Amino acid sequence: MKSLLDSIKGPWFIAVYTWREGLRRKTLVGFLILSLLVIFGATFMTSFINQATVGDVSTDMDLKLIKDICVTTISIFGILITIFISASVVPTEVENRVIYTVLSKPVRRFQYLFGKFLGVQLIIIMNLCLMGGLFFIALYIKQQILPTLLLWSVFLTYFEFLIVSALTFAIACASSSSVLPTIAGLFIYITGSLTEYLKDVYNRSGQTGEWLDSIIGYIAYILWNVLPNLQRFSLKTQIINSQPNDPPTDVLIPQLVLYGLIYAVCGYILAYWIFRKREV
Amino acid sequence: MTDKKVNIILSFLFVIFVILGAYQGRNVEFYRECEAFYRWILAVGTQERLFQASEGEQKTGKFVDLQLFDKVSEKAIPLLQNEERIKDSIDNTISYRENFANIIGDISNDPIIWKITTKKEMEALRKEFLKNLREGKIEFSRNITYAEAQESGVNIFNLFFGFRKIAASLIWLEVDRYWHQGLLYRMVPLMRTCVTLDPNFVEAYLIGAWHLAYNATAKLIETPQHLKKWNPKYKACVGEKETFYYLGIDFLKKGIRHNPRDYKLYFDLGFAIYKNKMNDYPNAVRYLTEAVRVPHERWVRRQLYICQELNGQYEEALQGWEDYKNRFPDNPIAPRFILRNQGKIYEKKAQELIKEVEKISDEQIKEEKIKEAENLKKQAKEIWEKLSKEESDPYGEYRLLLMDAMDLYNQGRFLESIAVLDKARWESPSNFDEASDLIIKIKQEANLPLTVSEKKAVLRKAEGDRCQGMPEEIPNSG
Repeated sequence: MKSLLDSIKGPWFIAVYTWREGLRRKTLVGFLILSLLVIFGATFMTSFINQATVGDVSTDMDLKLIKDICVTTISIFGILITIFISASVVPTEVENRVIYTVLSKPVRRFQYLFGKFLGVQLIIIMNLCLMGGLFFIALYIKQQILPTLLLWSVFLTYFEFLIVSALTFAIACASSSSVLPTIAGLFIYITGSLTEYLKDVYNRSGQTGEWLDSIIGYIAYILWNVLPNLQRFSLKTQIINSQPNDPPTDVLIPQLVLYGLIYAVCGYILAYWIFRKREV
Repeated sequence: MTDKKVNIILSFLFVIFVILGAYQGRNVEFYRECEAFYRWILAVGTQERLFQASEGEQKTGKFVDLQLFDKVSEKAIPLLQNEERIKDSIDNTISYRENFANIIGDISNDPIIWKITTKKEMEALRKEFLKNLREGKIEFSRNITYAEAQESGVNIFNLFFGFRKIAASLIWLEVDRYWHQGLLYRMVPLMRTCVTLDPNFVEAYLIGAWHLAYNATAKLIETPQHLKKWNPKYKACVGEKETFYYLGIDFLKKGIRHNPRDYKLYFDLGFAIYKNKMNDYPNAVRYLTEAVRVPHERWVRRQLYICQELNGQYEEALQGWEDYKNRFPDNPIAPRFILRNQGKIYEKKAQELIKEVEKISDEQIKEEKIKEAENLKKQAKEIWEKLSKEESDPYGEYRLLLMDAMDLYNQGRFLESIAVLDKARWESPSNFDEASDLIIKIKQEANLPLTVSEKKAVLRKAEGDRCQGMPEEIPNSG
C-alpha cells in the first residue's frame, strides 16, 4: 500500500509543480484574460439588438448570441491554451535542463511523464473552469435560471481538449523546442475537425473505376475510422441551445467521454513510447 | 524487461487502443446517424400532418422523402404496436403514413420514436436515408452538422470547423444592421443563410418572418382584388402585400419542419400572420392548436381561444376559457371572454331556432320555438348587460345595441335600426366594419340613399373575390 502511495505521490508532486509553473506563463494568462474579456463582452455585443416582435423574441436572441459567442470563445481560447501548454511542458524542461535534476531523483520516466500530463490537464481544467464559470454567471444574470446544460457543454469540451492535448503532448516528447509541437498541435486540431471529410472521399471513391481511386477511398475510410474526429463533440454546442425535440443526450455523453478517454490513452502511450527512448 | 519486449507491449497497447477508439467512434457515429434520421422523421411527419394538404405531394421527382417515409412507416407501425402507450392510438382504418404522422404529432411519443430509430430493424432504412441524403434526394433534412456534411466536398460545414452557430449569430448581427439601415431586401438572403448554417436558430425564423410580414409590407398599399393574381402554390389570390405574407409563412413552415416542438413558430404562424395579417381564422386556429400541443407560455392558449371565437367555434372557445380560468383563477381576462362566448352561443342558438321556425308549418310548435328563441335572446341580452356593466367591456354594449337594431329591423323600423347600428359601431370600433355592412344591407333593402363611402364599399364588393388567373373551381386551401 505504501509503495503504491509513493508511486502516486511522485507524479502528483510533478503535476502540482507543472500546474504552478503553468500559472506563471504569460502567454497562457494572456489567452485567459482575452477569453474572459470576450465572454464578459458578449453581453455588451448583444445590447444594441433591440428588435421587438410578437412575444419575447429579442431576449431569446440576446441569449442565443451570448451562448454562441461564449461557447466559441471557450473552444478557441481553450484549444490555444491546451496546445501551448501541452507543447511546451516537456521541451521547456529539456531546454532548461530541469529534467535532468528530476530524472536523477527516484522517479521513473513513466511517473515523470504521467505527472507532467496530469499537470497539463490540471491547467486545462482550471482554465475551463474559469471561462465556464464566467459564462455561467453571464448566462445566469441574463436568464435568471441556473444554466445546468452549460456544465455538460464545458464537460464535453474538456474531453475534446483531452484528445488534442494527449496527441500534442506525444509530439512534444520527441521535440526539444516547443515551436514544432505547437504547430503540430494546431494541425491536429484542424485535421481532427476535418476528419469527416475523409468519409466524403470514401463515399465518392470508385466512381472512375480506376483501381487507384478505390485504393484512395479505402485509405480514406481507414483513416476516417482511426483518426480522432473532433466534430463528434459538436454535441457541446447543440446541447446548450437545446431544443425540445432533441434526442436524449444521456447515451451520447458517456459514449463521447469514453471516446475522448481512449484517444487520450493512445496519446499517452505514444508519448511514453517516444520519451522512454529519448536520451535525456 | 528487455527493450524489445517493452516496445512490443507498447506497440501492442497502442494498436489495441487505436482499434478501441475506432470502435468507440463507430458507436458515436451510430448515434449521430440515428439523430439525423430521427430529426428527418419528425420533419417529414410534421410536413405530412400539417402542410401536405395545402402544399400537395412533393412535386419534384428529385426528392424521395415521402417514398422513404412510407417505408419507414410500414416498418415503424408494427414495432409501435408493441408499445403500451401507443398501441391504442393506432387506427387501422388509415394508412401507415397517416398513422405514423399522427403518432409523431404527439410530443410525448418522442422518446419512443427515438427508440424506434435506433432499433436494428431500422438499420436498412437508416442506411437508405443516409445514402439518399448524400445524393441530395432528401428535401426535409438540412442538419449540416451530421449526415449532410458528407453531401458535398469542401462545404460550409468544413469551412467553419464546426463553429457554424457562431457564424449564424454573426451573420444575424449583419441582418440587424441592415434592418436599422432600412435595407430590407438585403436582409432576406442573409436570413436564409443564417438558418442554413443553424437550422435550429428559431429566433431567426421568427424575426425573419416578422420582417417579411410586417416591416416589408408596412408601406405597401392594398392591391385591389381584381389586380391580384392567382397563385397555384398558395391556392390564393396574391397581391403585393400577400406575396410577403406568404414568404413569411414559408419561412416559418421551414422553421417548423426543423423544430417541430417549438411553440413559438406555430404561434407566430397562427397569430402574427394568419390572424393579425390575413384574418384567416381557420388557419390561425389550426396552428395555435399545434402551439398548445407542445410546451408553451400561458398566453398562447388565450390567443387560441380568441381565434376560436373569431372563427365561430364558440363552444370550444368557452370550454377553453373555463379551463383557463380554473388553471389561472387570478387572470382578469378569462371571465370577460367566458361571458362573450356564452352570449354568442345563446345568440347562435336563437338564430338557429328562428331558421327552423321558417320551415315549420304547425302553428303550435312554431309558437313554442319562437318563445324558446325569445327566451334565448333574453338570456343573451342579460349576458351582454353583465359584460358591459360588470366587466366594463364595450363589446357588451355593442352586442346589446346590435340585438336591438336587429329587432327593429325585423319589425320593419329601418331608420331606427340604422340609427342604433350607427351608435353601436362607434361604441366598439373593432366591430365598425360589421355594423357598417349591416347598415348598407338595411339601406339597400329599404331603398334608402347610400353615402359616398357606402357606395364605394358596395362597388368593392361587386368586384367579388375573383382575381386574375383564378380557376373556376377553387381547390381546398390549407
